[in-house]
Amino acid sequence: MASATAPQPVSSPSAAAGAASNNPHKRKKPAARGKGKGKGRLAKTPRRSDDPGDLPRRRSKPSDRFLKLLRKRARDYNSDDSDEEERLPDEDEDEDEDEEEGASGSGDDEAAGAVTRFEQGCRAFRVAFTKIMAKKLPDDPLGPILSAHKKLVAAKLAEDAEEHKPKGEGRREKRMAAEKGHVIPTNHLDSKEKELIKIATQGVVRLFNSVSKAQNCRKGLNPSRSKDAKVLAKETKQAFLTELSKTSNQSQKGKASSNFSKNNSKDEDEPGWAPLRETYMLGSKLKDWDKMQTSDVVNEQTEIPLDDSSDEE
Amino acid sequence: MARVHHKNGRGGGGGGGGGKGKGKGKWKMPASVARKQQAAMANVDQVTGDKIPKSFVFSRGKLPTTLRHLQQDLRKVMLPYTALNLKEKKRNNLKDFVNVSGPLGVTHFFILTNPKSSPHLRMAKTPQGPTYTFQIKEYALAADIANSQKRPRCPPEIFKNSPLTVLSGFGGLGEPFKSLVEYFRHMTPAIDPVTVKLSTCQRILLIHFDREKEMINFRHYSIKLQPVGVTRKIRKLMQNNQVPDLRDLNDVSDYVTKAGYGSESEVDDEAATVSLASDVDKLNRASRKSAIRLQEIGPRMKLHLVKVEAGLCSGDVLYPQPVGKEGLGKKGKEVEEETEGQEDEDLMESDDDPEDESEE
Repeated sequence: MASATAPQPVSSPSAAAGAASNNPHKRKKPAARGKGKGKGRLAKTPRRSDDPGDLPRRRSKPSDRFLKLLRKRARDYNSDDSDEEERLPDEDEDEDEDEEEGASGSGDDEAAGAVTRFEQGCRAFRVAFTKIMAKKLPDDPLGPILSAHKKLVAAKLAEDAEEHKPKGEGRREKRMAAEKGHVIPTNHLDSKEKELIKIATQGVVRLFNSVSKAQNCRKGLNPSRSKDAKVLAKETKQAFLTELSKTSNQSQKGKASSNFSKNNSKDEDEPGWAPLRETYMLGSKLKDWDKMQTSDVVNEQTEIPLDDSSDEE
Repeated sequence: MARVHHKNGRGGGGGGGGGKGKGKGKWKMPASVARKQQAAMANVDQVTGDKIPKSFVFSRGKLPTTLRHLQQDLRKVMLPYTALNLKEKKRNNLKDFVNVSGPLGVTHFFILTNPKSSPHLRMAKTPQGPTYTFQIKEYALAADIANSQKRPRCPPEIFKNSPLTVLSGFGGLGEPFKSLVEYFRHMTPAIDPVTVKLSTCQRILLIHFDREKEMINFRHYSIKLQPVGVTRKIRKLMQNNQVPDLRDLNDVSDYVTKAGYGSESEVDDEAATVSLASDVDKLNRASRKSAIRLQEIGPRMKLHLVKVEAGLCSGDVLYPQPVGKEGLGKKGKEVEEETEGQEDEDLMESDDDPEDESEE
């Protein structure tokens, strides 16, 4: 290959330009290329002066897109440049250009030249090819590639892996943070949970007992028996009448307690059904503004016993 | 007045003639007033005349998925007097919720936050406060609890009534906890023993204070009543409403008399049996003994009281008692620990007080 041309690296542009000015091919090139690729031009021109030796060596022209791809790859891999690596793509490009020039310059005899070249290089090619093919390839995910390339790709992959790792770790950390405090319970109840259930059960038992105590006084009388039915009827009628009379004369006492009637058992003077009370739906704020202090006093008094029965609510 | 008229006019025909009813034959209640009255009616228990506490459960800031689920579980706990499908937007601030809570009669806020990815729960009374800030040390979702159980039981009917609240372990405690007890007590509608129907008591909220660890355990159970002295087969027969499988039996009486497996649930402790005041369902009739079984439905939380503020998420800090001027702004660790130490002493003093449970 063009290894002889290699030692000139991508030198400073000024030198390149100087070399380019000598170059007889220079004028030809833009015409050959059509859309002149401004970028690689300076780098390539210096070598062309030495090139003539390479000129006869020709092969079929690779497509433009393929070249582009090659160049791009080369740029990617050689981003942090060591000289050796830099060279590879340049050679490629160099050859391409040679071919292009040849193609543009001598259009017709190219096919014949290609045939002769093939015949000449046949044996060497065969030897090289068989040698390559006979090579035992290591079972490598990277596949058969040039060693320099291999190193690069390996480095690249390692870099990628390293980049990925912190990303995964970050995600895991994030998930851990999101799950903070989330404790999935075990299948069996431990002693602590049993204790809590016991406490809750006690609370429910106490509530149900108090409910039955409050409601059973009426339940003891069976309305289907005529005697009890009479008593019940009388009771309800009496209760109704007393309630009616109470709503008229009962004035302040009931109101004061209605603030916290939910807490203590209902004041006896107060009608049981809420709409009969004077404070019904008044929020008792406007009504009791002057009674606030007394109600507070009562409230404090009731507070102490209430704490004991706090779990009955 | 003019403004009111204008409003009515815009509102549509219904209240058009409203206001003072000038010269109209029939007086019609203005729509706005009717609506207001209706809203007021909805906020009051029709039997006992008490104000029904209502709640909002929402979050501030972005929450991870599990906490979102916890929020939904908390809403289910607070059913039926809560907004189950409350949607909050990023631009909603606390003021929006407060403004809405007034007309809707919402009295309690439960605000989930996740500052520095440690979950916190703020319980507040609207509109004035106080606000109790808890750190959620541990929590388990209702789904986790259901997964851990062999036969999870969570029929949707139990959410039609509000839960009973059982507080325990709070007896004889100092100030922040005294007001906290009051808060918890008024979180759910009060129960009037004279008028309550036992069939409405279907779930229970246990809030238990662990004195040694200074933790509040939050548990949610469903209440199941089982008649005492009735074999499992009869119970199932009554519950399922299905014709039982009698293929292997020679006689119908075998179905009743043949003892099945001695179920472990039959071993009743006397403490959990009650005699019912009214019929609860087909099986649990009045004046019959029934055993109370609780099954957890979740969520489960372990809360640590961090801060108490006088206002709604603002105002004076009441609980980690601010030492000096500089202690007021930041609630430093030292301040907190100091107060905790004080409380411990208080506890030691008040330990001779009878506890709630030991009274029985």
